Amino acid sequence: MKCYLGIDVGSVSTNLVIIDDNSKIISWIYRRTQGQPIKAVQAGISELKELARADIEIKGVGATGSARYLTGVIVGADIVKNEITAHATAATALYPMTRTIIEIGGQDSKIIFLHSSMVVDFAMNTVCAAGTGSFLDHQAARLGIPIEEFGAYALKSQNPAQIAGRCTVFAESDMIHKQQVGCLTEDIVYGLCQSLVRNYLNNLAKGKALEAPVIFQGGVAANLGIKRAFEDALQTEVVVPKYHHVMGAVGSAILAKETTEEGTKPTNFKGFNTSKQKFSTKSFNCSSCENNCEVVKIKQQDKLLACWGGRCGRFEA
Amino acid sequence: MKVGLPQALLHYKYYHLWETFFNELGVETVLSPASNKQILNAGVKSAPSEICLPVKIFLGHVKALKDVDKIFVPRVVSVEKGAYTCPKILGLPDIVRGTEGLPPVLAPTIDFTKGKIHFAKAIYNLGAQFSSSPLKIFKAYQAGTKALKRHELKKQEDGLSKTGGLKIGIVSHPYNIYDSFISLDLLKKIKKEDVSIQTSESLDKKIIEDETSSLPKELFWTYEKEVVGTALHWLKTGKVDGIIYLLSFACGPDSLAQVLIEDFAQQYQDVPLMSLVIDEHSAEAGLLTRLEAFLDMIKRRKKIESNHRPDGLSANYARGSVQAA
Repeated sequence: MKCYLGIDVGSVSTNLVIIDDNSKIISWIYRRTQGQPIKAVQAGISELKELARADIEIKGVGATGSARYLTGVIVGADIVKNEITAHATAATALYPMTRTIIEIGGQDSKIIFLHSSMVVDFAMNTVCAAGTGSFLDHQAARLGIPIEEFGAYALKSQNPAQIAGRCTVFAESDMIHKQQVGCLTEDIVYGLCQSLVRNYLNNLAKGKALEAPVIFQGGVAANLGIKRAFEDALQTEVVVPKYHHVMGAVGSAILAKETTEEGTKPTNFKGFNTSKQKFSTKSFNCSSCENNCEVVKIKQQDKLLACWGGRCGRFEA
Repeated sequence: MKVGLPQALLHYKYYHLWETFFNELGVETVLSPASNKQILNAGVKSAPSEICLPVKIFLGHVKALKDVDKIFVPRVVSVEKGAYTCPKILGLPDIVRGTEGLPPVLAPTIDFTKGKIHFAKAIYNLGAQFSSSPLKIFKAYQAGTKALKRHELKKQEDGLSKTGGLKIGIVSHPYNIYDSFISLDLLKKIKKEDVSIQTSESLDKKIIEDETSSLPKELFWTYEKEVVGTALHWLKTGKVDGIIYLLSFACGPDSLAQVLIEDFAQQYQDVPLMSLVIDEHSAEAGLLTRLEAFLDMIKRRKKIESNHRPDGLSANYARGSVQAA
C-alpha cells in the first residue's frame, strides 16, 4: 500500500504520522522530544514500524517543526516545510472551509487566517512563551494538578478568578494571591485558561477578526479548559480535530504526497532502518573571522551528512 | 589626516557624499569594517541598555575605528523643511563623546530647518578645517552631491530593472536592510528563493511625499516618512506581491510607524504584510520560520491566483470576491 510519512519535531513533542493515498491517517505516534530530537525521531520510527501494517510502502517523507532540517537530513525527507504551512495544509485537508486555525504547542503559538483553503495571514508569538504548553505544564505542576486533569477542573468553575496572563511570573504571583484569599482551585484553573486566551488574542490576533469555522490544533487543544475559554471569548464553536496533537505531522505527510506527485517521483526516504543507524552531532565555534559562528556538523558514522550555522557559507556542503 | 567613517546608521544613505567630499579635500577616509559579532558586543557594552539596536551597532563601529585622527559623526538635525531625524540620530555626537577612549569627534550640524545659508556655513566650517580655499570646499561639496545623486539613481534603476519571480518589498531603514549581520542575512535568505527585492530607494521621492501628505497628520521624522510612505504606496497599488517590514527593537519612531502601517495593512488586504522585529538577541530559527511561511503563503496564493485568473488581475481573496468571480 502506498503511504506517506510526516514528521513534526517540536520543542516538547515529536510526532510521526503515516497517511494513505487519500490522506487518511493509518498510524500515528506522539512522544516527548526530551531535548534529544535525533533519538526521538529514531525511537518514533522504530515504534511506527511495529505499529504499522506490514504491507505499507513509504513513497514520500515530509519534515516540519523546529528541528525540521535536522530531521530532514536524518530520515531523508522529500520536503522540509515550516509549521505554518504544515498546519494549514492539514487543517484544510480535513475542513476545507476553515477560516481560522489556533495552534498552541509546547513553546510557541500561532494563528493562521485562511480563505478558500489558502493562508491569507498568520502570526506567531514573539519573544515570550507565556500562554503555551510549557507555561500550562508549569502552572499545573505548581497547583499540584496533573496536566491531564487540568481541563476537567476548569470545566467545573462557576466564578473564574481574574489572573494576569501576560507573563508566567505575574500569573504565578496572581495565582498564589488567589489561593491565599481562598479562591477555589477550579476557579483559579479556569481563570488561568481565560488569561491565557486573552494573552493569545491580544498578542497574536491583535484585533483581527477570528472568523468561524475555528479549528484548534496542537498539544494544548487537548485541554478542555482552554477550548472553553476560547469559545467564551469568541462566542463561537471551536473545533478540535481528533488528531489535533499530530496535525503538523499530518500536514507534512500531505506535503510529501504533493512533492512526490502521489508517489510517482522517487523518495529520499532512508528506510525504517534509520532507527538503528548511529548519528552524531558536533558543534564548534569557527575562528576564521570575528563572527565566531557556532557551526554544527551532523555525521552518520564517519560520513558527513550536513553542516550549518556558518554565516559565510564555507561550511555548507 | 585620517578621518574615520563608521559604517552604520546614516552611512547607508550619505556615504558617497561624505567620502567624496573628504577625498576631494585631500583627506584620507577610513571605513570601519562590516558589522560582526565583535562590533555588536563592543557596542552593547558601551551603550546605555535602553538605547536602540542601530545606535548600539553605531557605537561598536566607532570603537572599531582605530588609528584615525578624527571620527566623523555629523549632527543631522533635519534634511528637509518641516521634518526632523530621530532624536537619537540628532544626539549621536553627544552619545559618542560620552564614550571613553575615542579620538575627537568631527560633528558639523546639518539643519535644513534653518535654511540653506546655515547649511552652507556648516559645510564651509567643516571644509575649512582641511583647506583654506572656499572654492575648493565648494567644489568638493559639489562633487560629493554628484556622487550621491549617481548612487541614488543607480539604486533606483536597479530596483526598477528587477523582474521575474515573486516581487517582495522590504520596508525598513537602509541600515537595517543592508547590514547583513543585523538583518541575519535576510536579503541573502530571500534571494535564495526565486524572488526579486524592492526597497523604498526604487521609488520616486515624489510618490513617498504624496503618500505621507495624504495622512491625517504629517509625520515628524524624515526617515519614518520613507518607511510609511513606501508601505502605503505598495499596499494601495499592489506593485509588490508581499511586504516585509523590518524594524529594530527599541526604535521609538518605528514603534509608532508599525501601528500605522499594520493599520493600513488591515485596510488594504490585497498585499500581505509581515513585520519582523530584530534585536541583539535575535535567533535565526524564528526569523527563518516566519520568512519561509510568508513566502510559502504568497507563492501558494499566486499559484491559485494564476490558475483562476489568466488575465493576472488580483483575485482579491482577502475580501472574498472569489465566490463572486
